[in-house]
Amino acid sequence: MNQNQSTAIPVNDPFGNATTGKLGMWLFIIVDGLSFAGLLIAGAALRASSKNWPVAGEILNIPLTAFNTFLLICTSFTMVMALNSIQKGDQSGLKKFLGLTMAGGVVFLGIQVWEYYHFIEGGFLISTSIYSSMFYVTTGFHGFHVLSGVIYIGIVLWLANQGMFSENNWDRVEILGLFWHFVDLVWILVFTIIYLI
Amino acid sequence: MDHKSIYLKNAIWLAILTILEVGITYLSISQTGQIVLLLSFAVTKMLLVAMIYMHLRYETKVLNRILFIPIPAGILFTIALMYDIPFRWVI
Repeated sequence: MNQNQSTAIPVNDPFGNATTGKLGMWLFIIVDGLSFAGLLIAGAALRASSKNWPVAGEILNIPLTAFNTFLLICTSFTMVMALNSIQKGDQSGLKKFLGLTMAGGVVFLGIQVWEYYHFIEGGFLISTSIYSSMFYVTTGFHGFHVLSGVIYIGIVLWLANQGMFSENNWDRVEILGLFWHFVDLVWILVFTIIYLI
Repeated sequence: MDHKSIYLKNAIWLAILTILEVGITYLSISQTGQIVLLLSFAVTKMLLVAMIYMHLRYETKVLNRILFIPIPAGILFTIALMYDIPFRWVI
């Protein structure tokens, strides 16, 4: 045993190799998750005390939103593939999968806007009932996250085009991925509680 | 190590669970049964996203604990908000 080995102080970081940026994003996710939890719990409490709550599919379009859910799942796959690509040093793969994720997010938002347009045209407004206000506030809050995610992907894609990332420098892509997967994760719960239950 | 096949399998499982969720809404079972099934499927899907796509299974125990601590708090808040609902007819 040499001297260096005998005097070395073992470092036992409770967060392993996670970078400060990654821990910051996890912290944001916890806080943002609690915001969504507040909305969903309030919605569940309102529903439980209401006698006139519509049944699943009576007002909302379940097949269309199921397709949107499937689309968001696909974008989660393309996002993780973007990270997988840059971890192997594949710049074009990173750009391709980021572009696909962004396109999926835009289509998701387009479908949501189309859905809102038809509801508003049919007189289902945010002021119509407690149910409608809960629907618009929760899905709108989520839609705002998707929009933020699309802009965020756009920025990272622009950085990727500048050659910012490599197989040794992909932390920002991983942090973006955490945010995007969180948006997908929350939608799974929003879809189940708002649309299916 | 290339995780491509794991990511793809995860996406397929998530899609299958989504289809099953939609199918459950057409089943003629009790509303409580539907809610339990739908929430179980949703939690499974959320765990699949968190563990595989967000790589939570590779993170340390400390980070995992920090992330999962708010969940029981949320359940407690829900119960606190709704515990009196069965008795509201009395008023």
